[in-house]
Amino acid sequence: MSESVPPASVVLVSGGSRGLGLAIVTDLLAAGIKVAAFARTVTPELTALASKYPDHLYAGSVDINDSPAVQAFVKTVESTLGPVDGLVNNAAIGQDSLHVHTSPERLEDIIQTNLTAPLVLTRFVLRRMLAKGLKGRIVNVTSICAQRGYPGLVAYSATKGGMDAATRSLARELGGRVLANAVAPGFFASDMSAVLGQTQLDQIVRRTPTGHLTEPEDVVPVVRMLLLDNTNINGQVLVIDGAASI
Amino acid sequence: MSSVARDRVRELMGEVMTAQGRSLPADDGAELRTIGFRSLDFSELALRVEDELGDELNFDAPGLRRIATVGDVLDFIEQLQTA
Repeated sequence: MSESVPPASVVLVSGGSRGLGLAIVTDLLAAGIKVAAFARTVTPELTALASKYPDHLYAGSVDINDSPAVQAFVKTVESTLGPVDGLVNNAAIGQDSLHVHTSPERLEDIIQTNLTAPLVLTRFVLRRMLAKGLKGRIVNVTSICAQRGYPGLVAYSATKGGMDAATRSLARELGGRVLANAVAPGFFASDMSAVLGQTQLDQIVRRTPTGHLTEPEDVVPVVRMLLLDNTNINGQVLVIDGAASI
Repeated sequence: MSSVARDRVRELMGEVMTAQGRSLPADDGAELRTIGFRSLDFSELALRVEDELGDELNFDAPGLRRIATVGDVLDFIEQLQTA
């Protein structure tokens, strides 16, 4: 029997300064894990966490689309916290426009930020991991949009579907040495979900057996499990939406 | 950028509705919900305006959600052209 993949010990979280990313960072720190978080802007909340966990959190202001800066950040993380053996691809930009009224430039931005950049980051982290003989874990934060259709989210949904597909191929490609999974939250009652408008959000709530939209607190334990627990879950997309989509 | 006049936009809006076997009321206060002018109809209108304008009118959805009357449609197209 092959050896299992150990729990991640140093986790890199992209887009870790607010919302779900910040909740993931907070939760992992509370679990005693070393965390590196970056985002375009370091929020006061992330700065406060860095003060609270000076030996366990390394945070930086980096745009995920700036590949050299991201790679420099990863190298600094390695020298500060140790080799990265966990990656949470969370950074993403939203969309709120019908496809026919979305400029080609905006489409490129969405695809670059939500699909190309995380794939480039994943490649870089995996190369570092494999070169050091490490096993590891990857969690991609995708969306229910990858599986169900919603107006105003065409390009966004395409990128999330792309990440779901990449998750499955990564799991195959990495031969059990790295567990690659995705979490697909339903709509949050937060800024990202403002794209749907109140009427549509109300409709989703009515159709959700658990009776509420997804909260970061619903997703965080699943991400923690995928990073830390001894499971054989690999190449899966776990939908967290209270059964709204079934 | 040149612009398509409000009256012309109204004509184009009427053409969109006529193509669907309906008619555009003269009253700018008419509710879109009542006359059956949906978001995709707005897209069709915007694309017709683009054709005359020779330029794209790209916009986010929130502005669209605030549109409730015929007058709102005309105002919104006007705003897009001056943005």
